[in-house]
Amino acid sequence: MFSKDTPMAQTKVLSELNAMVWKIEVAAGQRVAAGDTLIVLEAMKMEIPVTAPRAGVISAILITEKQMVAEGETLAVLDSSVADLS
Amino acid sequence: MNWQRELEELRRRERMAQAMGGPDKVKRQHDGGRLTVRERIAKLIDPGSFHEVGAIAGRATYDAANELEHLTPSNCVFGRAMIDGRPVVVVGDDFTVRGGSADATIREKPLMAEMMAAEFRLPIIRIIEGSGGGGSVKTIETTGRANLPGGVGTALGFHYTGANLATVPVVALGLGSVAGLGAARLAASHYSVMTKTSAMFVAGPPVVARIGQDLGKQELGGPDIQTKSGAVDEAVESEEEAFACARRFLSYLPSSVYGLPPKIESDDDPQRRDESLMEAIPRDRRKVYKMRPIIEALVDRGSFFEIGRMFGRSIITGLARLDGLPVAVMAGDPYFYGGAWTADACQEVVRFVDLAQTFHLPMVYLLDCPGFLIGLEAERAATIRHGVRAMTAINQTTIPWCTIIVRNSFGVAGAVHQPAGRLALRYAWLSAYWGSLPLEGGIEAAYRADIDAAPDPEKKLAEIEERLNKLRSPFRTAETFWVEEIIDPRDTRPLLCEFARLAAPVLTPGPSTFAMRP
Repeated sequence: MFSKDTPMAQTKVLSELNAMVWKIEVAAGQRVAAGDTLIVLEAMKMEIPVTAPRAGVISAILITEKQMVAEGETLAVLDSSVADLS
Repeated sequence: MNWQRELEELRRRERMAQAMGGPDKVKRQHDGGRLTVRERIAKLIDPGSFHEVGAIAGRATYDAANELEHLTPSNCVFGRAMIDGRPVVVVGDDFTVRGGSADATIREKPLMAEMMAAEFRLPIIRIIEGSGGGGSVKTIETTGRANLPGGVGTALGFHYTGANLATVPVVALGLGSVAGLGAARLAASHYSVMTKTSAMFVAGPPVVARIGQDLGKQELGGPDIQTKSGAVDEAVESEEEAFACARRFLSYLPSSVYGLPPKIESDDDPQRRDESLMEAIPRDRRKVYKMRPIIEALVDRGSFFEIGRMFGRSIITGLARLDGLPVAVMAGDPYFYGGAWTADACQEVVRFVDLAQTFHLPMVYLLDCPGFLIGLEAERAATIRHGVRAMTAINQTTIPWCTIIVRNSFGVAGAVHQPAGRLALRYAWLSAYWGSLPLEGGIEAAYRADIDAAPDPEKKLAEIEERLNKLRSPFRTAETFWVEEIIDPRDTRPLLCEFARLAAPVLTPGPSTFAMRP
C-alpha cells in the first residue's frame, strides 16, 4: 500500500488522548497543509482538533466518526513525500 | 632541596587521571555521539571554573620497585564549579572507566559530592551514564562477596539522594544508557533531562529479556516512554541542550532553601497590555484554545520555561518571571480532556507545588478546569485519591498565590485553585464560567422528578437549562462577592506583576515541611 522506497515520508497521526471521534474533516487522497485540521475529537464535551504535523497527502483514515480511540492510537496516515504541494 | 619531585609526581598522576579510561575508550564514547564526563562538565559550567575533588583517586599499578606504572581514575568525577557566577557541585559518571559501574567508583566520591551540596547549601548537578555507580554482577567476583543493598556503610548515599531535595536544587542529566542506581539518581531530582538518544530503565534489555520481554533500549526506556511516564522531565536533542536546560532551571531558583529566588532586571514593561488576550478564549464553550501563547503574553517576554510537558498533559507547569521576579506557573491545557485533572496531572501538580513551596516561588495559576477526569479509566487510576493529594499539597503551601480564572472552574478539582484557609489573590476573566457541576448531565441528576413528570421531558430539560444559564452569569457571583473581581484580560499582566512585587517581601527563607497527605 505504501511506497516502499519512501517509508520515512509516511507520518502517523496519533491521538494524544482517549476520546471519541467527533468529525473527520478530510478524506483519503486529499492534500493538506501543515496545521490543517484533519479530525476533531471529543473529550470532556470539548472539541479537540487534530492537525496535520506537516504538509502532505492523506494516505489513509483509520477511524470512523463516533468511534472511541485510545491515547497513542493511529488516526490517519499522512504521506509527506509529495514534492509539489503548491 | 624543595618538593619539586613530589609536585611532578602529583602532576603525573593528575595527567593519568585526566586520560580517563584511555584513548580507545574515549574514542568509543565519541563514536557513540557522546561527550566524555570531563567534556560534559566543561560545557555545563562557567568556563574554567571547575575545582575537582579527589582527582587522583583510582586504581594504580606499580612495578617491582614500587614505582607507579599506571593510574586508572575512579569513574566518579566531582567537584565545585560556577554556573552563572553562582557556586554549585557537579558530579559525573565516567563511562570510559568500567562503563560507570561500581567496581571502579570508590563509593565515597559520589557520597561526598552529595554531602558537600548539603553542607555548603549548593545546588548539585548529577551527570549520569551507566549504572551511576551501581554494581554489576562482576562486582561479586571483584569483591568476593555479595553486596547487601542498604547494608552497613552503603545507605548514606540514599539518605542524601532524598534529603538534598529538601535543601538544595537537584538537577539530574541522563546522557546515554542509565540503569539501576543510575536511574534512581536520575529520578530523585527536582528536574531531570535526557537526550533523545538516551534510555533509562530499572534494568536493561538483557535482564528484561529474562522476564520474556524482547525490547531494545529505546523501546524499553527511551524518551517517549520516560517523559510520558513522568520519570524524566525533559528530552532534548543534544547534550549541549541538556546543559542549557540545567543552567536555565537553576537561574530561577535560590542556591538553597535558605535563600530567595534571584531577581533580574527585566526590560519588559510590567504595565504591558496584550490585545490578543481579549480574544484568546473562544465564545463557543466546546471550542479549545492554546494556553501557552496566553502564558507567554502574560509573563516577562521569553521567560517561560516549561517543565515536564509530556506528563500529566492537562496541566502545564513551568517557571517564569514577572517584572524580573521568578514565579511558578501552572495552567490548564484544554487540548487535554478540556483541562480536566487526570491522575497523572494530579501527581504533576503535587511535585510542582512542592518545588515552588520548597524554593519560595510565588504561584501563578491560570485556571481552566472542568473537574477531575471522569469515566471508568479515571476511576481505575484512582484519580480522586491523587486529586485530594494535590488539593492537600496546595493547601499545605505557604507561598503567595494568585489565580486567574481563565474559563472553567467546576467541581472539586475546580475548587482546588488556591490554598484553602488563607488569602490568595484571585481574578476572573470575562470568559470565566463556573459551577458545582456542569449543567450537561447535572440537570438530569438534580431535576429527575420534574423531567420525568413533564409531558415532553426533552422540552422540560431545555427549559430548565435555559433558566439556570441565565442565573449562572459570573456577574451574579461577583454581586454576591463569591468572587472578588472580574477583570479585562488585558489588565492581567499589570496585576500579576503587582502580585510578584507584593509577594517578594513576604517570601520567607528556610526549609519547608509537609504533613501527611491522603
